[in-house]
Amino acid sequence: MIKKIIAVFLRDLKVSLRDFIALYIILFPILFAVAINLFAPSINDTTVSVVLLSPESEQVTFFEQLATVAVVDTISDLNYRVLKRDHTIGITKEGLVAQGDEPAFLVDYAKLLNVFYLNGATIESTKAELTDIGRAIPPIKTMFVNGATMLIAVLGGMLIALNIVEEKADNTISAMHVTPISRLGYIAGKSLIGMVVPIIGSILMFYLTGFGHVDLFKMLLMLITTALISLLVGFVEGLANDDIMNAAGNMKLLFLPLLGAMAGAELLADKWQPLLYWIPFYWSYKGNQAILTGTGSWGDVLLYASIIFVISALVFVVLAPKVRKGLE
Amino acid sequence: MITVKQLQHQYPGNAHYAVKDISFEVQKGEVFGFLGPSGAGKSTTQGILTGLLPLQQGEVTVAGFNIKHLKRQMFNAIGMSFEQSNVYSKMSALENLEFYAKLFDVPTKNPLELLEMVGLLDKKNQKAGTFSKGMKHRLTFARSMINNPSLWFLDEPTTGLDPAIAAEIKEVIRLQNQKDVTIFLTTHNMQIADELCHRVAFIVDGEIKLIDSPKNLKLQYGQKIVEVEFLDGLQPKRESLSTTLEKDIARIKTILDTKEILTMHTKEATLDEIFIAVTGRGLL
Repeated sequence: MIKKIIAVFLRDLKVSLRDFIALYIILFPILFAVAINLFAPSINDTTVSVVLLSPESEQVTFFEQLATVAVVDTISDLNYRVLKRDHTIGITKEGLVAQGDEPAFLVDYAKLLNVFYLNGATIESTKAELTDIGRAIPPIKTMFVNGATMLIAVLGGMLIALNIVEEKADNTISAMHVTPISRLGYIAGKSLIGMVVPIIGSILMFYLTGFGHVDLFKMLLMLITTALISLLVGFVEGLANDDIMNAAGNMKLLFLPLLGAMAGAELLADKWQPLLYWIPFYWSYKGNQAILTGTGSWGDVLLYASIIFVISALVFVVLAPKVRKGLE
Repeated sequence: MITVKQLQHQYPGNAHYAVKDISFEVQKGEVFGFLGPSGAGKSTTQGILTGLLPLQQGEVTVAGFNIKHLKRQMFNAIGMSFEQSNVYSKMSALENLEFYAKLFDVPTKNPLELLEMVGLLDKKNQKAGTFSKGMKHRLTFARSMINNPSLWFLDEPTTGLDPAIAAEIKEVIRLQNQKDVTIFLTTHNMQIADELCHRVAFIVDGEIKLIDSPKNLKLQYGQKIVEVEFLDGLQPKRESLSTTLEKDIARIKTILDTKEILTMHTKEATLDEIFIAVTGRGLL
């Protein structure tokens, strides 16, 4: 049976790689990882830029430790650069040059830097003791990766829908029924692409976005349970639609609870959080967040995964007759 | 190879039975034709025999398997060629056969040999979606042989094929039958049934009207007539004379003795004519 299930999976994978939409879905995690890296700020990024005049190498070295530095030759070049760039402060021997609409903290920060430099203060001069709380990745990046992981699971369901629509268009389901593969085996084979592609895609994305260190076994459990709902909806949409675009369009409706759960989990006060408990993506988000930040224990992850599994089972009870009827 | 006893089937929401209390047997090595017009119950019966439709009433055994308790292993023993071609359009002809071969637990035929058999070897790497209707039909036909079935269900195997290709397909069917493959042929094409079947069943309105060999049916229902064309002086003339009536036999003798014969044929009834005679209905 395993051999047949894998044959069905490999067939779907082969055909998906020849289809533009399916190929895009398969490559989506890599594209998304690149986008996250481009747009999410690094923990060391600073928003303060200064322009220095007639460089003294010592001055440049000092400022480069604490700000983005540009060096120009003349005062007119310095004025021109400050005028053309927002949030850029010019530093001369006479004082600071600014557009006038910069935030006060930015001007104050530049003033402080200049004072420190003029008085010979260095980073080593401070008596403050630094306590490292261990966060190496900014929260916004964690949120992006978390959201992308769930999105990839939904896209896995979309792959299933696309492959079933293809089977319906080619009228090949009846041909499968006269082979020794059981209906359950066929469903398992069809589901595999919606499970394997998101898992491999997500793991790739973790490595590309700097989350390669996360506990993969915990993450695997969350990925599999998150994909369950997408698989079910993928089957139902595939069987209910004769057109690829319709199936994909209907699958996109899953993005609504996904984004709603994310926004709610981040923005709603604790007393309103129970309103989101029925959404499996809410628990996925919490579970993923716990794993990505390294704060989730096995107990937490098992709890979240169990809740998602129970919700998925309830959805299965509702949708199973539709799937069975569609396959007949 | 097939035993059907008192089979009945009713579609949900339909008061009429699509199949009414039919019984028949198909022997090993036999080519059995299941003939009838559209809506007669052919596809329903075949659907039940191949497990595509649930068995509601009656007893059905196929290749030694009781259909009531369908086991997937049964499909290792049977092949099914559908009337409507159903192949993966995004896969090549070869890929289609290779994929299906992986779904069986028994030794399978070489896909390239099958493609050669149905004249598609030079198109092996072409996607099935680019095939003509006839080519897709041939690929569906070839696929049904992939598992070396001992019982082969053929649904309108020559529909939509040009005469030359249809002749090749009929030859493949004959060859398979010579290898002791039992064939259940569903068709409304009486010519192919006449050429290939050892026995035929006429089904109309869900009921089997008769089962017999084409030869027996022709003997039973055919008019025993000789058509003779001869020269009467300089004028060609034609007469149809019975081979059983005394008067006509005497006339045949007279013509043979006294006239120059141009052509002379015995005329047999076709299966179409017999079907109409038996059921009172045409096939289409």
